[in-house]
Amino acid sequence: MISISFIPLLLALVLSPLLFGVINRTKAFFAGRRGQPLLQLYFDLWKLLRKGAVYSRTTTWIFRAGPVLGLAAVLVAAALMPLGNFPALIAFPADFLLFAGLLGLMRFCTVVAALDTGSSFEGMGASREVFFSALAEPALFIALVTLARQAGQLSLSTIFGPLSGAHWLDSGPVLALVIIALMIVLLAENARIPVDDPNTHLELTMIHEVMVLDHSGPDFAFILYSAGLKLWLFAALIVGMVVPVTNSVWLDLLLSTGGVLVVAVIVGVIESIMARLRLVVVPQLLVGAGVLAAMAFLLELTLKIHNPS
Amino acid sequence: MRHETMLWLLILVPAVTGGLTLPLTSAQALLRALCAGVGITVALGWYVAGKVLLSGPVCAGAEWLYLDALSAYNLAVMLLIYGLCSAYAAVYFGVEWQEGRLTLRQARQFASLWCGALAAMTLVFISNNLGIMWVGIEATTLLTGFLICVHVTRESLEAMWKYILICSVGVAFAFMGTLLVGASTHELGLRAPEVLLWTRLHAHAALLNPVWLKAAFIFLLVGYGTKAGLAPMHNWLPDAHSQAPAPVSALFSGLMLNTALYCVMRYVPLVEAGTGNTGWGLRLLVGFGLFSILVAAAFIVFQRDLKRLLAYSSVEHLGIITLGVGLGGLGTFAALFHTLNHSLCKTLAFFAAGRLGQTFGTHDMHRLSGAMRVAPAWGMGLFGSLLALIGVAPFALFMSELQILKAAMDGKAILTLVLFLFGAGVVFVGALGHAIPLAWGKAGPVARPDRIGILESLLVVVPFGLLLVLGLWMPESLQAALNNAADVIRQTGNAFTASAGGMAP
Amino acid sequence: MTTNLILVLVVLTNLKLLGSSRLGASIRMVALQGMVLGLLPVLAHLQNLSVHFVLLSLGTIALKGIVFPWLLFRAVREAEVAREIEPYVGYVASLVAGVLALGVSFGMCARLTMPENIASPWLAPVALFSIFAGLFLIVARKRALNQVLGFLVLENGIYTFGVGIVAETPFLVELGVLLDVFVAVFVMGIAVYHINREFDHIETDRLDRLKG
Repeated sequence: MISISFIPLLLALVLSPLLFGVINRTKAFFAGRRGQPLLQLYFDLWKLLRKGAVYSRTTTWIFRAGPVLGLAAVLVAAALMPLGNFPALIAFPADFLLFAGLLGLMRFCTVVAALDTGSSFEGMGASREVFFSALAEPALFIALVTLARQAGQLSLSTIFGPLSGAHWLDSGPVLALVIIALMIVLLAENARIPVDDPNTHLELTMIHEVMVLDHSGPDFAFILYSAGLKLWLFAALIVGMVVPVTNSVWLDLLLSTGGVLVVAVIVGVIESIMARLRLVVVPQLLVGAGVLAAMAFLLELTLKIHNPS
Repeated sequence: MRHETMLWLLILVPAVTGGLTLPLTSAQALLRALCAGVGITVALGWYVAGKVLLSGPVCAGAEWLYLDALSAYNLAVMLLIYGLCSAYAAVYFGVEWQEGRLTLRQARQFASLWCGALAAMTLVFISNNLGIMWVGIEATTLLTGFLICVHVTRESLEAMWKYILICSVGVAFAFMGTLLVGASTHELGLRAPEVLLWTRLHAHAALLNPVWLKAAFIFLLVGYGTKAGLAPMHNWLPDAHSQAPAPVSALFSGLMLNTALYCVMRYVPLVEAGTGNTGWGLRLLVGFGLFSILVAAAFIVFQRDLKRLLAYSSVEHLGIITLGVGLGGLGTFAALFHTLNHSLCKTLAFFAAGRLGQTFGTHDMHRLSGAMRVAPAWGMGLFGSLLALIGVAPFALFMSELQILKAAMDGKAILTLVLFLFGAGVVFVGALGHAIPLAWGKAGPVARPDRIGILESLLVVVPFGLLLVLGLWMPESLQAALNNAADVIRQTGNAFTASAGGMAP
Repeated sequence: MTTNLILVLVVLTNLKLLGSSRLGASIRMVALQGMVLGLLPVLAHLQNLSVHFVLLSLGTIALKGIVFPWLLFRAVREAEVAREIEPYVGYVASLVAGVLALGVSFGMCARLTMPENIASPWLAPVALFSIFAGLFLIVARKRALNQVLGFLVLENGIYTFGVGIVAETPFLVELGVLLDVFVAVFVMGIAVYHINREFDHIETDRLDRLKG
């Protein structure tokens, strides 16, 4: 039904800024501080939307269009992601390819806007970002393909249905490997530790932050919001592998939303206990994620051959 | 004495001798004890081997020990060479001890490891259980590793490391092959203790799973082939042979390579019967053999160190033996004959190289020239053995290589024939080019004058004489023995059954 | 199911060995792999459990989990090896090669017909993968101790194959094999000690005086 498939999109739109609050609170808890209010990002967005924007003389229309296009891309991607037992707004076979493509489009808009400023600072961040994403893409794709093979379905909305508890008993190792690979990809794509430090503003260590340095006002609000949405979408992808368990759709929805928040807590914990990796070591980590996903795929191929079910 | 006891004694005597040499206090006593122990083993072994070659296979130890024509022949050859090498070791190390270049600790290390290696190699030949055969080969690898660096130098350590690593990996591959052979017996439903018994596998060879068997043979050929020095797995050979003391090099070339190749030969009838006698395994053998011959030929031409030259010659001859087994028919007969000839000749060559090395103080062939002028007996030994190695008539090596050529022609393997002749030709020219200055060149600088004793003269004359005699005349008994041994590989002749604890009918 | 977990752990430890450079971590990974594999004889033969399998398990765990790391750490201490050495093949390339080897192993084993009562369909491919990984480590690493670790991984792969698939090798043979591996590691440790004493390093690519 059309109406209930709005619910995942609605939840994503409304609750995604909460994720950053949860992460910050978790980090503050580990550091023994009280930390920012949970709803801080909402207040920030409201403040930024009412401010004016400042544009450099060296930028063109690309710089102004970047944040808007990026937000548009991630909104369409959000329309593809289901939550709990509710299907997504748009669902068709192989829509996970479109999903990955839209996220790539969003990254492209950010990168192009950064290059448009003409500053070598942003250019350096853009090149690093693109390099790491290029290494993380195979992991994401192989993980998604493995999931599709496991479930025997080709659409994001239907992939998570068959992955029930019995499935975990059967092919637990495969799914566990896919979750670990997806978690590493989440950390890489969303610029969290150990790939990038969201709090640092030092030239040597910034990746994502440096690309958006020049945006201000509503543009910056769009960028922050789309970052939050992207994190929600990746978290929902991971949660979908664990959650559809009970028979009641509303309970499942509650569990899924809770799961997404739990993923945010886990990200906060990881950020608190690990330091950022040296830049030369990050490719090894990402290739490792790709290798784990490939391993899951190979294992799953053999399983299917031996127990066709 | 019952045969079962004798088979057990064959392993125990060397092991005990090795242990007994440890408390002795002078190198002379050590070497004499070593020779005594080896002598007893040789006598016992020849007695048992002779009985088996005359009357048929012997089984013992609940079918775990087994001696048939193939293993008896190889055992006899090995013991002959071991005896010669032990006598030579007494001479060689005696000289070193007198000059103070050998410490007591090194002598003890040498003696105990030498006897241990003998015990391990005997175990390989008399075991029916393919797994225990593997254990024996691995034991020889580990025991002989430290024989290479009796004198600890940079080069000998490098050689020892390469040897231990490469051969351990090779032997691990061979174990994988053994396991795969065990896996191929699933359809036979054998009980657990019998899965790796060669006699059982041989009796039911046609029922083994061909796919697993083929995979097994590939692993086995690569694995045992590494130990046997087949190219392209031969890289450890030149280093190990050139750095080890001469008796140890003689041991390697004359014995260990043959032992490893024997293990491959054990599997050939199983693989052939299991894959329906299509000659798949034999073709692989021919391929590896030819490749070894050609690689060795290429390296021999550019050699500078005498012992490395002899090492590459070993690679070539092991390739010839493999080629012979792969050709089948007369080729198998000739290959087994060649193991005897090559062992005799190579040990003589290494004996000469070792003593000449002591006389001249180096193994560099540019400085080791004019050996016949300086040390006539050993110089003649070296030159004669080099001639024999490159296949000059009327030595026995010429006969066995001729027989292999005939086998190739009988099997219409023309390309094989051409490649073999080409390789042998290159070796002929290259080695002769090295040998003539060695014998008759300007006399090089001498480190110490040469004194020859009766024992040393015997050590030159006996192998030389044997090679000449065998080249001209093959005794009936030897021919029968070779035929029986070859039949085990070729699977012609009477099928036999072995019963535990006694001799087969 | 537990067999599957064990095999996945083995593959993960192999991949970590391929991708990591630190000697201490590598020794611990190999020890973990050995201990985990020590559980295989018991798990693969739960139906016909006997003293033979239990003893084999205990022996393997003790040997591979305790004795080998002790020997290797002693060799590390005596050789005083501290610094990182660039291997022949970089770590990222090694990881990719590892995945390719995994794919090849799965492909090759798909053509072999397995016996019916096998504990898991991943046994033969994982064993073959360990063999490839061990070989790769021996060839692609310069430090002698890393090569010894590669040899141990190779033996682990063969052991996996033996215990999981060829259920019926006699007890004495398996004992003999374990003993041989023990002595091999012992001998290699002594060799490394001698090499270090003579050369002051244990990088085998610098052992190049014997050529041709």
